[in-house]
Amino acid sequence: MRIGIVSPYSFDVPGGVQNHIMDLAEALIGLGHHVSVLAPADEDAELPAYLVPAGRAVPLPYNGSVARIAFGPVSTARVRRWLARGEFDVLHVHEPLTPSLSLLAVLSARGPVVATFHTAMTRSRALSAAQNFLQPVLEKITARIAVSELARKVQVEHLGGGAVEIPNGVAVRKFATAAALPGWPGEGGALGFLGRFTEPRKGFPLLRTAFVALARDRRQLRLLVAGPGDRDELYGRIPPDLHSRVEFLGLVSEPDKARMLRSVDVYVAPNTGGESFGMILTEAMAAGATIAASDLDAFRRVLDGGRAGALFPNGDAGALTTLLGELLDDPARRADLASCARQVVGTFDWPSVAARVLEVYRTAIEATDGRVFDDDGA
Amino acid sequence: MPGMWWVVGVVVLAAIFSAYLGWTAQRVERVHARAQSAERALDAHLVRRAAAAAVVAERNDSVELYAAARLALDAEPDERESAENDLTRQLQQIELDPDDPAARTLIASSRRVVLARQVHTDLVRDALTARRRKLVRVLRLPGRYPRPRYFDIVEPVMPPLPGPAPAPEAPLPVRSV
Repeated sequence: MRIGIVSPYSFDVPGGVQNHIMDLAEALIGLGHHVSVLAPADEDAELPAYLVPAGRAVPLPYNGSVARIAFGPVSTARVRRWLARGEFDVLHVHEPLTPSLSLLAVLSARGPVVATFHTAMTRSRALSAAQNFLQPVLEKITARIAVSELARKVQVEHLGGGAVEIPNGVAVRKFATAAALPGWPGEGGALGFLGRFTEPRKGFPLLRTAFVALARDRRQLRLLVAGPGDRDELYGRIPPDLHSRVEFLGLVSEPDKARMLRSVDVYVAPNTGGESFGMILTEAMAAGATIAASDLDAFRRVLDGGRAGALFPNGDAGALTTLLGELLDDPARRADLASCARQVVGTFDWPSVAARVLEVYRTAIEATDGRVFDDDGA
Repeated sequence: MPGMWWVVGVVVLAAIFSAYLGWTAQRVERVHARAQSAERALDAHLVRRAAAAAVVAERNDSVELYAAARLALDAEPDERESAENDLTRQLQQIELDPDDPAARTLIASSRRVVLARQVHTDLVRDALTARRRKLVRVLRLPGRYPRPRYFDIVEPVMPPLPGPAPAPEAPLPVRSV
């Protein structure tokens, strides 16, 4: 199948949507399809072979952050040229309601268009107010994909349409084969946390309380923390005699994230809310770590109701302490949880996710010109 | 000559209006054509599902499933929805072995039914939204296209995609503490 994918955001800066598009494109290529990705990027930047740069992106404040996007007559011309040359069987745009290449591509294209919605937009009320205005765009989209239950809800409630929920994929092999950091996890047990530890919703204080309580009896227990934040602020709240047993990595790259997750016995996700999809959990599962997570709905779903990771009552530091103690003392239970996690994470692996996206492509193609693909021959 | 400007103004407005009209007519045409294609696709996947269910039923000697599949294949248009609902109910009661090729075909076609129905519902909604507009009603823009209908069946549960590649084996960092 010839597939054209459009990214609204520039590949010059890393981001969730860009990573999603790159992983999806590579998985589709791996399944034998022809893929071309159009994205804002400098012509002289070093880019993967499947990426077609659409010119420099302009930083624009959007939805509370700065997005680097391309929009305007020059971009329109490039989109049209790319569409004309590509002869795609299906066009797949991401975040098509932001003013971006994606929106331009939807407006310029004829034929099957699949759209993926990543964020549950905070201004969803404004979205439903603008629905009449957006209708010409929306009706050019044949099939919609939402990456989370929340993003799907926005579709259903504010844009009056359904969407197929297909979660983000995880590059299982990359995580499963990464080398642990030297000296980790060690013999005394290692706990891990990744995220902005200063943000209350990430729940780091719960883990800190549990670690301090556990470290008193377990003389070799260590804690590995990664994520953006200030070193002094992290250590300031930990008793000084435990400082040598807490390692802070700061913001980590994707490969280092995999190594970090391979370096711990138990990965802890004490989030108290706001997590629409436990992406980090799927990554920790792929890395083979045992998971202890708060019982948020999203986490419960990803962890198959607690089979693929242990759950504790949201916000309860005492329960987390008890749970972590049990897990550290019971290697057989950890092995059980981790091996179940490895099975569950197979459904989040990119080749599986790409296969589900391909089903949506075929459905969209059929709905535009009546062609029916044979599943067996595809 | 102020009279001239009147004429120019009217001509410009008429040009803008007719361009708008053309654009609207094209949109209405497109949403209706798509709703029809989506209906044909949904029909094809329902037939495939019923055929695959009949094959599985014969293999398992399941009389009820076979009957439901036959009824879905032979149903008159006005009985189609309830026949498909019966088949969906029957299918939800059986366990399918993902290693059996016939069962895999059935799983694949059941998944496509869910997707095709989703897209069909969205496209019918778009077409009906277009038909509700006053301009479209007054000028009868849908023309030769009949009013599209929702296909009213219960949402079948989407079975998981068979045979995801098992995660690669790697030594787990689990030891006694």
